[in-house]
Amino acid sequence: MLTYEGVDFYDIESQLSEDEIMVRDMVRDWVDEEVIPNIEEACREGHFPEEWGQALGEMGVLGMTIDEKYGCAGMSYVAYGLVCQELERGDSGLRSFASVQGSLAMFPISAFGSEEQKMHYLPKMASGEWVGCFGLTEPDYGSNPGDMITRAVEDGDDFVLNGAKMWITNGTVADVAIVWAKLDGVIRGFIVEKNDAGFSAPEMTGKHSLKASVTSELVFQDCRIPKNRILPDVKGLKGPFSCLNNARYGISWGAIGSAQACFHSAKEYTLSRIQFKHPIASYQLVQNKLAWMLREITKGQLLALHLGRKKDDGSWIPEQISLAKMNNVDMALEIARMARDMHGANGILDEYPIMRHMANLESVKTYEGTHDIHNLILGRWITGIQAFTRDL
Amino acid sequence: MPNIAVLVKRVPDTNAQILVSGDRVDLSNVKWVMSPYDEYALEAAMMHKEAQGGVVTAITLGAPECDKVLKDAKAIGVDRIIRVWDDSWSELDSNQTQMALTSAVKEISAEVVYCGKSAADTGAGSTGPGVAERLDWASASNIIGLEFEDSGIEVIVPAASGNARTGISLPAVVSCDKGFCKPRKPNVKGIMMAKRAQVEVLAAEIPASGINIVSHTPPPQKAPGQTFDGATNVPAVVAALRNDANVI
Ligand SMILES: Cc1cc2nc3c(=O)[nH]c(=O)nc-3n(C[C@H](O)[C@H](O)[C@H](O)COP(=O)(O)OP(=O)(O)OC[C@H]3O[C@@H](n4cnc5c(N)ncnc54)[C@H](O)[C@@H]3O)c2cc1C
Repeated sequence: MLTYEGVDFYDIESQLSEDEIMVRDMVRDWVDEEVIPNIEEACREGHFPEEWGQALGEMGVLGMTIDEKYGCAGMSYVAYGLVCQELERGDSGLRSFASVQGSLAMFPISAFGSEEQKMHYLPKMASGEWVGCFGLTEPDYGSNPGDMITRAVEDGDDFVLNGAKMWITNGTVADVAIVWAKLDGVIRGFIVEKNDAGFSAPEMTGKHSLKASVTSELVFQDCRIPKNRILPDVKGLKGPFSCLNNARYGISWGAIGSAQACFHSAKEYTLSRIQFKHPIASYQLVQNKLAWMLREITKGQLLALHLGRKKDDGSWIPEQISLAKMNNVDMALEIARMARDMHGANGILDEYPIMRHMANLESVKTYEGTHDIHNLILGRWITGIQAFTRDL
Repeated sequence: MPNIAVLVKRVPDTNAQILVSGDRVDLSNVKWVMSPYDEYALEAAMMHKEAQGGVVTAITLGAPECDKVLKDAKAIGVDRIIRVWDDSWSELDSNQTQMALTSAVKEISAEVVYCGKSAADTGAGSTGPGVAERLDWASASNIIGLEFEDSGIEVIVPAASGNARTGISLPAVVSCDKGFCKPRKPNVKGIMMAKRAQVEVLAAEIPASGINIVSHTPPPQKAPGQTFDGATNVPAVVAALRNDANVI
């Protein structure tokens, strides 16, 4: 097998540091050796192989931008982006695992937790020993989490939580859940542990997308947790939204990985498939599609890299992340759909990765802020007028 | 506790397409990697350290672009990384290479040297035995098994019939085949260590070369294949396999 070299038309590699390239290649090799040969089976069985989580911990990519003091690597956001790209080239479910663990569960503890919380949770989460999840979405509140129903009340030395979360990645397998709930009407973050009384996390079934990722409900029925499990340093939507900024940033890279996998498959397939005496890649309509894919991937790469450097020097604004997440997932989904078409009937088989990527990207388009919610975020930035809601 | 050295070489990726332009191999567009057998040598060195303690030093020979293989070795966990080079050198022949590496091994007072059984580019296989000869040390080549004893090491090497288990006392040079261990992978922490690590550059005295490469030529092109369509061609295919290809 030829070593996978990625699509790099504009020599993005020349803009990466040696350690960024080493981290990318480490994950790239692992995905080639362990994930790609086994992913279809995992999807068919609808489970996320536990050993993949452990391998991510051993490689040290979980929460890899967090300080070394907490057992993490303190690496750049560009390196984190490259990891997301390679993981999602394998499967969006795998990248989702890493995003949730690093950006949605470990990040809030590192940014808003007490020193004791950081020392207690982060090293074990970095090593993959403890899995984390992030509970924001509720059955009735998706795009507008600000109206969430889940509540916490103080009771002696404890908080008591009631409510339900839905669509929670890793929920059933998580040891640690970061749960956003209202305390005296203000959104706060709470750390709920797997065995806390009154907490359960049944798995949701029947997904046609992200089949190799665990998605769950979180149910709180008088769930009692000690007072030291509140995240002390954040109040309001800023808490969950800062986590989402990090995860969305990772997705903007991850989508490039899916797009590269689909482009790669479409290129190989159309060069070898003969119709009307010649490889279909020799026909202008097909070349037009390949050229469009290369164009979109290249633009997406430049966007992600520049955003990554801005993340690293702190000069970014959330709207830039919205644009990158929206654009790159959109282009990846279109590339997946186009690649599916170019493979003809073969395109629906699990022998090729494209239909899986296509189905996965439908979720990626919706979670972490739907495509149109990001349009509304940009619309507000352009006009100064919010269009999320109005009086009817 | 043993002072362990491992020799690693930067070579074109074994999947890289090698082009010859003019009368020289053109390597300007290839991807470079650590020579695959050296990964096993590196693993053997790390296993030795785990078994008996000590220090592992990775040594390469080459210009600054070869630092990358040393950083790769550092990311795996070696303690020191050394590059042997002198800016007045260009391509070295086997004799010069062995002399330069021998001088680095002496400089760090290593007691055991691991290396790959051959490098993926030249395939010469002379470095391990050549360095052993110059050091006047024991030499074990193409090992496919390794155990650590108080008195030295025990290696398994292919023999005329089957394999031979051989005990060697140190100092020794051991050249490694693949398959007897799974080379460990780097992790992010190792990569961060590698980022901060300094490559030590050593000079060496080497003799003048008696070798002059006249030209490089690519291997002869494979003749194009033939295609036969339809069942009526079966006799022609059989005849070709029997008479031309001599396979049936
Ligand atoms: C596989 C998967 C995993 C997930 N993992 C997690 C997780 O780990 N944690 C978590 O908290 N959540 C998770 N989610 C939930 C995800 O974040 C939500 O699905 C998402 O925020 C959208 O919410 P919704 O599904 O309720 O859609 P809705 O908000 O009901 O949106 C439906 C449609 O209406 C549009 N819409 C909504 N409001 C407006 C408006 N004002 N103007 C115009 N259009 C609008 C949307 O763009 C969308 O097209 C996951 C979802 C999936 C599918």
